[in-house]
Amino acid sequence: MFSERVFALKNVRLVYTKKGRLRFVSHLDMNRFMSRVIKRSRLPVWYTEGFNPHAYITFALPLSLGFESEYEILDIKLVDDNFDIAKIPDILNGICGEYINFFDVFEPTLKTGLIAAASYEISFDDGGEIFDKLSDFLKQDSIICSKKTKKGDIKQLDIAQKIKNMKIEQSDNNTVLHLTLPSGSEENLNPELLITAFYEANQKEYYCYNVLRTAVLDKEGKLFR
Amino acid sequence: MDEKKFEQLLLTVQKPGRYAGGEINSIIKDKEQVSVRFAFCFPDSYEVGMSHLGMKILYSLFNSKEDIWCERVFAPWPDFEKVMRDNSIPLFALESRDPIKDFDIIGFTLQYELSYSNILNMLSLAGVPLRSKDRDSLLPLVVAGGPCTCNAEPLADFVDVFFLGEGEKVDLEFIELYKEFKKNGKSKSEFLKAAAQIEGVYVPSLYDVSYNADGTVCAVTPKDDAPFPIRKRIEENLDETFYPESFVVPLIEIVHDRAVQEIFRGCIRGCRFCQAGFIYRPVREKSVETINRQAKALCLSTGYDEISLSSLSTSDYSCIEPLLNDMLDWTKEEKISLSLPSLRIDNFSEELLQKISSVRKSGLTFAPEAGTQRLRDVINKNITEEEILSSCRTAFKGGYTSVKLYFMMGLPTETDEDIKGIADLAQKIVDEFYHLENRPKGKSVNVSISVANFVPKPHTPFQFHPQITKEEMARKQQYLKDCIHTKKISFSYHENRTSFLEGVFARGDRRLGSVIEAAHKKGCKFDGWDEFFELDKWLEAFIECGIDPHFYANRERSYNEINPWDHLDYCVSKEFLISQNELAKGAITTPHCRKKCSVCGANVFGKGVCFEKR
Ligand code: SF4
Repeated sequence: MFSERVFALKNVRLVYTKKGRLRFVSHLDMNRFMSRVIKRSRLPVWYTEGFNPHAYITFALPLSLGFESEYEILDIKLVDDNFDIAKIPDILNGICGEYINFFDVFEPTLKTGLIAAASYEISFDDGGEIFDKLSDFLKQDSIICSKKTKKGDIKQLDIAQKIKNMKIEQSDNNTVLHLTLPSGSEENLNPELLITAFYEANQKEYYCYNVLRTAVLDKEGKLFR
Repeated sequence: MDEKKFEQLLLTVQKPGRYAGGEINSIIKDKEQVSVRFAFCFPDSYEVGMSHLGMKILYSLFNSKEDIWCERVFAPWPDFEKVMRDNSIPLFALESRDPIKDFDIIGFTLQYELSYSNILNMLSLAGVPLRSKDRDSLLPLVVAGGPCTCNAEPLADFVDVFFLGEGEKVDLEFIELYKEFKKNGKSKSEFLKAAAQIEGVYVPSLYDVSYNADGTVCAVTPKDDAPFPIRKRIEENLDETFYPESFVVPLIEIVHDRAVQEIFRGCIRGCRFCQAGFIYRPVREKSVETINRQAKALCLSTGYDEISLSSLSTSDYSCIEPLLNDMLDWTKEEKISLSLPSLRIDNFSEELLQKISSVRKSGLTFAPEAGTQRLRDVINKNITEEEILSSCRTAFKGGYTSVKLYFMMGLPTETDEDIKGIADLAQKIVDEFYHLENRPKGKSVNVSISVANFVPKPHTPFQFHPQITKEEMARKQQYLKDCIHTKKISFSYHENRTSFLEGVFARGDRRLGSVIEAAHKKGCKFDGWDEFFELDKWLEAFIECGIDPHFYANRERSYNEINPWDHLDYCVSKEFLISQNELAKGAITTPHCRKKCSVCGANVFGKGVCFEKR
């Protein structure tokens, strides 16, 4: 007789950082990248059935091309219940190269549909030039952004009330903006919308910026796990 | 350039992953610790270049040496080229992002003639003088290898050194010598003279070419003790030849994104139009054991879930059954899919067929190349109509409903009868389907015909033939279209204008250098891509340089004429090519190397199929 356990799959959630040159890998390409990493790792992951079996992997929240991240979530399923999951990050880090670093592993507590927000750190290469303007811009009662709808039309959206945990810092070379925006399946706001709106409103010189996702949060504003 | 600024610019172009680097298995070394930096340039897009096996082999081979750092460079897509030029970003290598003009060696691989303008464009983007004579110092040297070096002449003004034949040994010997000369502070000309003595190294500047009044080559004269002719190099024992244990795994989707296992080099067949069939002689195989070992290592190090076998004709591997048996077993276990390009399965055992059917998913394809048996005999393509029809019958019974057929047009001795034969053959396959009692129910059949333009290539028996004109090609295409009377047959063909240019360069000489440069100055690039190809600009360039392109492409060449490539010795004798061409005229076939040796000349290497027991 087979025991039930043989067929029980163990859900495992991995958290990693994605930086540097890997920023240029789109979400779709990332899927292929991680499938290959998982394949090379020879971890006892569950493979889909069928003609072309492939390792089952899911990313909790897509990351825009060009963004870096300190909190990317990857879910896998293990077929071996006894596998010591604490070992997984090291195994994967040995394969991924310097731009990806797995730093946490656990059994998921929440379904990915319960992701509610994400926090970002946006640093502008402005020599501190835009600090005042950006502060004023963000203090407005209404901040109108243009957002493309799924149908492809442009919609005007006031996002002033949706920005949380905002903080602006100024250093010698940079202006750094911290903020949290709604994210996930219910509502998704890309920080690019805000940056574009700001640049348009100011019609000033364009400065390079870098977007770093620092956290993914649940409804209570706690780190999503 | 500042890294941040650079990465911001990347975000403004399509597919920044092409230029980002950082792929798994790409190799980073400390530039202070290496003595030679090699920029391996593929003169086409990242997606095309990264799919190329030869580049993967040499990249890994060079980097296996501690004191060489080999990096990859591809032709930037025009959108990024604009960004580079606007921001004064010189062409850089993907790994270090350092400008390649500071490298020791800039190496191009020449896979097709239509990439020549990209080579010039890449040199210009790099900020390196285009012409060899305008580069005085030892570094950077500009070198090139790959199949097109078998007539390297059109690029002779730009490239310092060509490698003939297989690169593994000659490249390393060359780099070794370079290291020594660099250390001793020697000049470029001293180095080139010495390098020319390495077998397989062709230094075009050490040969003077004179021309007759009618424009043909009068003589090629070596200087400074340079060898004559220059003989190609081969790997003698493929089981001992270096093969990469890992591939750089691209981060974006490329043309062929999978592990590739080479199983042999060369081809026993000797199809008379096929350059690869002659310049890679003789056939040398890897053992079943080597193939399995290398293939496993590759899958392990890349995480690829697909592997394909690479050779000119998989079915001709002498131990194909045992090989497939082994490979099908372990790939299934590892959940890796094995793809078997164009495999003839006629005489496989029932058991093996069973196993294959569980993995085979690619469509049914044949390459009859010509529409009538007579013309197939002319080109020495030994596949009969009955073979094709019976394979189709079997496949239809097995549930297949579409067949793809590859042909060529413009072959020597071809008549309209042969063109009509293409449509007739396709029609017979359609009929075959409807005559079958237990054909797939409720389905219709689709036969697609893909017709390429025949381009006569150097070192083949057809090197003497004129290429037919663009106009004649268009007429034949139209005629074929008119011969097709059903929607069940679909028909696609190649762009005639690009084939014409390909034909000019394939059999061109050194005087074409000025044309390539003029076309480059007019902005020609990515000529192999229909969306960028501009024949008008090329024609203007020919006129400006006072050169008639038809002289190269559309002229019959006599057997006594000295061809621009005759001093490049690929070990298939001109006498053999002539006798093959004569046989072709009489539609007489030649048996393949395993049936009978036809004494082509390739046995000088003392290895390979020439010495198998028959
Ligand atoms: S020498 Fe004979 S066996 Fe060897 S490649 Fe030539 S024809 Fe084939």
